[in-house]
Amino acid sequence: MKLYIGGAYQGQAELAQEENPEVPLYRDFHETIRNAVLADGWDPLAFAEQFCQDHPDAVVIANEVGAGVVPMAAEDRAFREAVGRVLCVIARNAEQVTRCVCGIGVRLK
Amino acid sequence: MIWLVTGGSGCGKSTWAEKLVQSLPGEKRIYIATMQVYDQESEKRVQRHRAQRANLGFRTVECEKNLSAAQIDAGSVVLLEDLVNLTANEMFDGGDPNRIIPDLLDVSTRCNHLIMVTNDLFSDGETYSSSVQEYLRCLAEVNRQAARLADHVIEVVYSIPVTLKGELPCL
Repeated sequence: MKLYIGGAYQGQAELAQEENPEVPLYRDFHETIRNAVLADGWDPLAFAEQFCQDHPDAVVIANEVGAGVVPMAAEDRAFREAVGRVLCVIARNAEQVTRCVCGIGVRLK
Repeated sequence: MIWLVTGGSGCGKSTWAEKLVQSLPGEKRIYIATMQVYDQESEKRVQRHRAQRANLGFRTVECEKNLSAAQIDAGSVVLLEDLVNLTANEMFDGGDPNRIIPDLLDVSTRCNHLIMVTNDLFSDGETYSSSVQEYLRCLAEVNRQAARLADHVIEVVYSIPVTLKGELPCL
């Protein structure tokens, strides 16, 4: 499993595509989480563990979304928190984690 | 040589970039100021930056947009502050954001060293209005192309420089 993260539009999707041309990519994973959060009783940790079990070779691409002011709306707060929790689990399971800044990939793991 | 210096707001990237300028050889130092001054707060910010570089021997060139018109002395060291304002001015003040990268390339060929400062404002997870979202997308593209152009890309984290591309100079 590999994880590519970065702020919005930092080139993480392009880099993941370039480095993993043959593997299906899970793009905009934060958006997947944004939708999932809306369901009642959804558990980010259980979701993340299950995802890692089901897709051990996945290449996951996501935006970092946690470096701003606490959002006013409850669902935005839940979204931001869930993205953090889910990506921590994915990062733990991933053999490689890459963070993109200005299109430059920095290996964190 | 071309440098790109990025980092969050107030992280000390201007100070670090100024230190870098001092360490580089060049007959003249030029500061390209891109910020539009329209209220007291921006005036104060300009004053702070001016005081900060008062004794560093810069000639200040005011250039809110259309960089190719800026007068650059041959053999100079140019500090461009910053891509965030330049992109906003080109986008929202009757300019053309598509000329930014060609203009940067043009400036870099006319000077000895070019140091570009930009800002990292992409990780707050907010969804803004479509015009702001378009601005963020455009600025990110400018940053990425500038990083490609640059020999060295440095992220400053609360005054600590982190190398993203190239090498860290001894300052």
